[in-house]
Amino acid sequence: MRVHVYEQLMATQASRRRVMKGTASAVAGLVAGVPATLSPSPSFAADSVVAQIMKIPGAGNGSPTDADWQKVGELCLGPTKKYVQPGEFKGINFSFMGLNNQNLHNFLFRGFLKPWEAYTGTLIKWIDLAQADYNARLQQSIATGTADFDIIEMGAPFEGDMGVKNLLSEMPDWVKKQVDFDDIVDYLKPPVGTWNGKIHRVTIDSDCHTMNRRTDVFTDPGLAKQWADWKDKAGLGTWGPPKTWQQVQQITKFLKGKKVKGKEVYGFLDQPKPWGGFQFYFTASRASSYAKYPGEKNWMFDENMKPLVNNPAWVRAIQDVIDALPYEPADQINADPGTTAFQQFLPGTGSLLEWWGDIGTMAKTSDTATIGDVLDFDILPASDDVYNFRKEKWETLPNGPNVAPNMAYLGWGIYVMKTVDSDPKRHKAAWSAAAHLGGKDLSMWTAAYPSGFQPYRKSHTNLDLWALAGYDKKYIGSYMDSQSTSYNHPNSAIEPRIPGIFQYYSIAEDELQKTFAGKQSAQQGADNVAAAWEKLTNKLGRENQIKYYRIAMGLA
Amino acid sequence: MIAVAALQILDGLGLVPIAFVNWRPTLYAFLLWSVALGVGQVLQYGEVGKQRLFVLPALLFTAAMVIFPTLFGLNIAFTDWNLNAQSGHHFNGLDNLRTLWGDAYFWNALGNMAFYVATVLVQYAIAFGLAMLLNADIRGRKFFRVAFLLPFMLSPVAVSWMIGKSLMENRFGPLANFARWLGWENPAFFTDPWIARTTIIAMDAWVWIPFMVILLLAGLQALPTDIKEAAKVDGASSWQAFWEITFPLMLPVSLTAIVLRTIFELKLADIVINVTAGGPGGATDTVSSFVFREYRDRSNVGYATMVAEVYLIIIVVFITLLLRATSRYMQKMT
Repeated sequence: MRVHVYEQLMATQASRRRVMKGTASAVAGLVAGVPATLSPSPSFAADSVVAQIMKIPGAGNGSPTDADWQKVGELCLGPTKKYVQPGEFKGINFSFMGLNNQNLHNFLFRGFLKPWEAYTGTLIKWIDLAQADYNARLQQSIATGTADFDIIEMGAPFEGDMGVKNLLSEMPDWVKKQVDFDDIVDYLKPPVGTWNGKIHRVTIDSDCHTMNRRTDVFTDPGLAKQWADWKDKAGLGTWGPPKTWQQVQQITKFLKGKKVKGKEVYGFLDQPKPWGGFQFYFTASRASSYAKYPGEKNWMFDENMKPLVNNPAWVRAIQDVIDALPYEPADQINADPGTTAFQQFLPGTGSLLEWWGDIGTMAKTSDTATIGDVLDFDILPASDDVYNFRKEKWETLPNGPNVAPNMAYLGWGIYVMKTVDSDPKRHKAAWSAAAHLGGKDLSMWTAAYPSGFQPYRKSHTNLDLWALAGYDKKYIGSYMDSQSTSYNHPNSAIEPRIPGIFQYYSIAEDELQKTFAGKQSAQQGADNVAAAWEKLTNKLGRENQIKYYRIAMGLA
Repeated sequence: MIAVAALQILDGLGLVPIAFVNWRPTLYAFLLWSVALGVGQVLQYGEVGKQRLFVLPALLFTAAMVIFPTLFGLNIAFTDWNLNAQSGHHFNGLDNLRTLWGDAYFWNALGNMAFYVATVLVQYAIAFGLAMLLNADIRGRKFFRVAFLLPFMLSPVAVSWMIGKSLMENRFGPLANFARWLGWENPAFFTDPWIARTTIIAMDAWVWIPFMVILLLAGLQALPTDIKEAAKVDGASSWQAFWEITFPLMLPVSLTAIVLRTIFELKLADIVINVTAGGPGGATDTVSSFVFREYRDRSNVGYATMVAEVYLIIIVVFITLLLRATSRYMQKMT
C-alpha cells in the first residue's frame, strides 16, 4: 500500500463514532451476573503497562487511531528490551505479509511495530492482502517457491501447507518466555501451532464459534405467552434462549411472522452461500454437537481420512439448515457469513447467530450495530443425542445433551519463515518482531479494542481490565464466559490442519449450496461431498494426507 | 535461454531433476537474450538491423506475453497440478478432459451461459430503441446521451454491490420495497433460479447496453438522410421507414454490436461471483466463475486451466459459426 493512502486511512479513523458507549466509572462495581469462571478481582497494579494501555484511547474517546496503536506499541516494548539491545538489528530489513481487512490486522501491526523498528533499527516492508486473496496468494507462493515474505500472519489451518514443505522457522525458547507461552488457552497449545513436534507460531488470536443471542427477544412477555401454546417445544418449557439445536429449530419456526416492539423478528440465521471455504465452518458448527462424540478426536474424517461428512450426524445438520431456511428472512439462501453478521444480525435482524467472537466487540463498536444493549452470548448449542460413528448409532449421553463447540479456524498467528534461519541476526530480529506482536499486555488491548482478534489468553478473563476499556461487566462477562467455556471444553471440535484443507471446504460449499437450494437431498449432498473429498485426498496423495492428518489431530 | 527453459520444462515433467527453484531465471535469461538479439542485429546488419529494432521488441513482447503463456497454459492443462499436492505436477494425459466430460458443474455453467448469451438479442433490441431515441430530435438529448452512458463507466463489482446487494436487498432495498408495494409479498431476487438468472443478466445488461447504444448510435448517425426523406415523400409510415430502410441499413453495425456483446457476455463472472457466488444451487453460475473457483479457492491449477482452454475453444468455434451465419444473412439481405 502507498504510504499516503495508509496515512489518509489512519487520519479518517479519528473521526469515527466513539468506540465504547459506556464509561469505565459507570460500570465499576457492576459485578452482578459475572460468571464464576471469570476473574472479577484485579491482578494488576494501577500503574502497570496493561492498566495504562487499556485506557488508550479509553472509553468515549473515539476509535483507536494510528497514534494510539503506536503509543500502545511503545508502552509494550518492555519485554523486547529485555532480550534486544537498542539498535541491535540496524541494517536489517524484512517483509511482513498480512491482511488489511476492515482497516485492521496489518494496520495495527504497523503502528505496534513502529516503536519496535525505531528501538531495534529494523526496517519492515509491508505486504497487505484482502482476506479473499490470502489463500490463493499463499498457495501460489508455497507451490512456486516464490515466498517473498519473512514473516507472515497466518491461520492455523494453513500450518499443514507450510509444515510439509518445511518452510517455517522454529520458535526459540526465549520467544516462548517473552510471550508467556503458558498463559495461552490450552486448546491453542501444541499440537496447534506446531508441525512435527516443532513450535512455529506466536499466537495472537483465538477462534471458536459461539451463539450470539438477542435478550430483548428472549425476554419478551408476549412471545413467552405465545410460546406456552407452541406444540413442539423441544424441551424448552419456558420461553428463553435455546440450549440445544433441536430448540433452535423450533424457535426459528416459532418466530416466523412474530413481532417484538412492532418489528418483525426472526430466529436463527443460516449462512448457505459459499464464502471462499469459510462457509463450511458454519455447517460444521451446526454439526459438531451431533457428530463429535466425547473422547473421540475424529469428527470430519476418521483416522484413515475416510470422510465422516455423510454420516447421519452431518446429514441431520444439513437437513436442519434445509428445514430452517423457509422460516428465515427471504433470500437467506444468498446470505454468506459476512451478510448474516454485518448486514443482518448487527443491524437488528435475527435473534440467534453462530459466529466468531467479533460480534461481541463489534456490537459495541460498529457504527451500524444497533443491538449492543440487547445482546448476550453462550457456547454453541448442544444436542439431545450424539452420533457414535464407531458403533454407527445415535446415543443419548448419561450426563445430558452433548456439547461440542467448534474451534473454527483456530485463530491467527505470526509465523517466521525458515529463510531467516541462516542469518542469526535476521533470525533474532524476525522472532523479536513476532514476539512483540504476541506480547501478553498487547494481547489484552487487541482483545478489547477493534483489531480482528479474539481473546486467547487465560489472563484475558480478568473483567476489570475490560472495564478499563469501557465495557459493561455483565455484558463482557457473558461474552468471555461463552469464549472461555468453549476454549476449555473437553469435547471441543478441532479441525484437521492438513495440506489443502480449504480445498476440502470449498468443494463442500459447492455441494452444500446445491443441497440448500433443494437440488438434491441432504444425504445426496453429503454423499457427494464425501466422494469429492475422497477424490481430493487421492489427488493430494492419500498416504501423506493420512500421515499429516494424524499429526495435525495429535493421533500419531 | 532455450536451454534454461528446456531444463525448467523437463524438471516440471519429472524427467530431469535439474532446474531453478522458479521461472525467474528463465525470465531474466529471456530479457538478456532479447537485448543481445537487438544489439546483434545492429552490429551484424547495420542500418537494416536498426530498422528491425522497430519491430523486434513488439515481436519479443508478443512471444513472451501471448505465445509463451498460451503454450505454457496448454502444457499445464494436461497435468494434475494442484498447488497443495506434495508431489508437484505430472502429465496426466486426457484425465482432465475426462473429468470435464463428467463434471456436472461445468455443464450446468455452460447451460447458464446459453441462456445469458440468448438474452443478447433482447439487449440488442433495447439498445436499438435507446439509440433511436437518442438519435431523435428530443429535448435534453445531450443529457440523456451522457446519462445512458453512466452505467458503462461503472465497475461491475461496484454494480454488484450498488444494485445486487443494496437496491435489491430484501429488507431495506428500494427495489425490494417497490416490489413489495406492487404486491410481491416477499421479494427475493436471488432465491428462485429463474428470477435469480434473470436478475443477474438484467444487472449485466444495465452495464453493457450503453456499449451497444454507442455503436448503434454511431451507425444511425452515419445513415444517409436522403433515403429516409425519399421514403417519407413516397408516403411510407414510420414503421415502414424503420423496417424497410433503417433496420436493413443498420445490419452491419447491428451484427458487429451483437457479436461483440456476445463475446463480452461469454466472459461474465464478476457480478455472479459478487452477488450470488453462482447460486442458488448453481442457477446463476458461469463458466468463468467456475474456473475462478476451481483455481482460486481450490488451487486446482491443472483442471482449471483445462476448463479455461476448452471454454476458449468453445468460444472460438461459437463465434466463428456466428460470424459465418451473420455473413450469410447479410449476403441474403443485400
